[in-house]
Amino acid sequence: MTDTTSSLAPLLLGIPSKGRLQENCTAFFERAGMRFVQERGARDYRGAVQGMDDVEILFLSASEIAGQLASGAVHFGVTGEDLVRESIPRADERVIMLQPLGFGHANVVVAVPQAWIDVRSMADIEDVAAGFRQRHGRRLKVATKYINLTRAFFSAHDVADYLIVESLGATEGAPTSGAADLIVDITTTGGTLTANALKVIEDGVMLRSQANLVASLAADWNPRASAGAVSVLARLAAKAKGSAQREIRCILRGVNQQHLSDAAERFGATAPFGLPAPGQPLTFHAPAAQVFDFAAWLTSQGAASIAVANLDFVFEPQNALFAELERALG
Amino acid sequence: MPHTAYDAFDALAERSGYALIDPPILQPAELFLDLLGEDMRRRAFLTTDAEGREFCLRPDFTIPVSRHHLKEAKASAVGAYAYRGPVFRFRADGPSEFLQAGFENYGRRDLPAADAEMLAIALEAASDLGLNRPDIRMGDAGIVSAMLDALDLPPVWRRRLVSDLRRSKNLDEDLARLGTSAPRNGAAAYAGFLAALEGADPGSARAAVADLLSIAGIQPVGGRSVDEIADRFLEQAALSSGLGIDADKVATTRKIFAVAGDPDSASAQLRTIANEAKLDLNAALDAFDQRTGFFAARGIDVGAIRFATGFGRRLDYYTGFVFELHDPAQPDAPQRAGGGRYDQLMSQLGSAAAVPAVGCSIWLDRFGGEA
Repeated sequence: MTDTTSSLAPLLLGIPSKGRLQENCTAFFERAGMRFVQERGARDYRGAVQGMDDVEILFLSASEIAGQLASGAVHFGVTGEDLVRESIPRADERVIMLQPLGFGHANVVVAVPQAWIDVRSMADIEDVAAGFRQRHGRRLKVATKYINLTRAFFSAHDVADYLIVESLGATEGAPTSGAADLIVDITTTGGTLTANALKVIEDGVMLRSQANLVASLAADWNPRASAGAVSVLARLAAKAKGSAQREIRCILRGVNQQHLSDAAERFGATAPFGLPAPGQPLTFHAPAAQVFDFAAWLTSQGAASIAVANLDFVFEPQNALFAELERALG
Repeated sequence: MPHTAYDAFDALAERSGYALIDPPILQPAELFLDLLGEDMRRRAFLTTDAEGREFCLRPDFTIPVSRHHLKEAKASAVGAYAYRGPVFRFRADGPSEFLQAGFENYGRRDLPAADAEMLAIALEAASDLGLNRPDIRMGDAGIVSAMLDALDLPPVWRRRLVSDLRRSKNLDEDLARLGTSAPRNGAAAYAGFLAALEGADPGSARAAVADLLSIAGIQPVGGRSVDEIADRFLEQAALSSGLGIDADKVATTRKIFAVAGDPDSASAQLRTIANEAKLDLNAALDAFDQRTGFFAARGIDVGAIRFATGFGRRLDYYTGFVFELHDPAQPDAPQRAGGGRYDQLMSQLGSAAAVPAVGCSIWLDRFGGEA
């Protein structure tokens, strides 16, 4: 941070303030070398990242984060794709989902009572809905908190004759209590649905969601915030690259350019430091899944002292995540 | 523009004998949502009062005017009303407030004459606004349902075709599928079980399904009864196990939906098809022809009306004659005016007696600078 930028606002990163999502999130960023510190203890709603002056953390309720991203109140946020798609109209024009984070998995599904043995697909729901009003004097009711997702999905399947009953919790109980006939809700294992005598429609998975790092296109992208974004994304990319690769060191007498191109072609392995000086070890980075085949091949080429190590971080000169953000910001 | 448009409109209402009324902008939401469905709620501006009752800014006039008639007049009495003012429908890319004007006519028993009067007034209003020779597109939900009754198609296909018509969507695709497969459903998975039930009488088949559910320990939840589920299940069974629709019926249905032309030629085509298939559509077609006669009597150029069996309008309360007026220079633009007959709406709004009704709405904003 230079004097000219210190008066500018830092990058604001919205993080869920409680629950499993927060734990996963904290652990994820910590693995990427970003340790959150809350000066006034765990109940402080603002925080910092150790050693990163251009980044400030805001701990927000999970449902708030999507809204803050849409309005530009935070630059980055961690939130589920389900909430982004539900609460931000035309989300793709207003935020970009930079990276799925590998936790917070949940599917948004259409579920109907198991007793509806005649209903297996959205086309069946359309048909049931069409005849429902005449038979029952009211419309078919769908309980959900995903109002926008439901409307879009039902309309894409030509289901028109229904009404949404907004549900703010325990949606899966709505058919039993009589509040609705079917539901749209998130599920991870389907256990809660089964326990409530519900089944998922065959083509009724509306969205396979997980936690994402999301960037706001509406935020104030001043130079300091951009600098913060560059350093956050560099660490995430370096961590991702590091996790996917292993470092392989060996002694290979008479190593030549042909060995390097064979290694690249057959195993996707690169020699980031090039050919070594005579007598010095040779270093490769190879995809984790290829390590054993690659080691066997090296052995067949006469290599000795083959040692494989994990890589914490691999930084690259070009950061693809930041390039994507810059493109979106125009 | 509004004021000149209003003046001409008010004069037309007066000389046609329609009383100008001004129903409240704020309307109880439940009524609209139940009648118009989620598609309308998506576009409605909703608000609540201190006690949590939901209200909406009126998204159309027909329901408020109908409520007015129910309240003010004896339900069965005749009433003719005109209205104009803003309606509100949410649009992401443009203003959400539109100016509408229109006419609604209740309680007349001479349906064909009332239909013709409504089209004549709509044409006059369009002409006052500068559109002199609009495209007149016409359909008839009554003819379609009379035909579906006479053909005795399976209920699932009737529902399917009626909703296609309403949405002006998928009709050709579904007609192509008619008779060759079920209308997009998944019952085929139970084909074996269904084949075993084939030929069983409906009562015992239904009992078998109910028993199966109870053996599996599945409690019916939600609003559908076991009988209803069993009926639909067996209905799909019949379709997917090939007890479908015979080829003659399929051919007749396709022919009927292909009918298009001016009302006189359409009626002649429909009579020919009905005779060949030995369907009794005489009552419906006689009323149709009578209405065409009233069109001519009102000076409407009948040859310029384009009727199509497959023409429908979006709202599901239409029960008979439906029409739209379009600018011939912009055939793909939304209609300038549209309306039709809705004989069941008043009962749905709580009227004890049946009240026939017909109306039309004019989208004043769509007339731009011509007025």
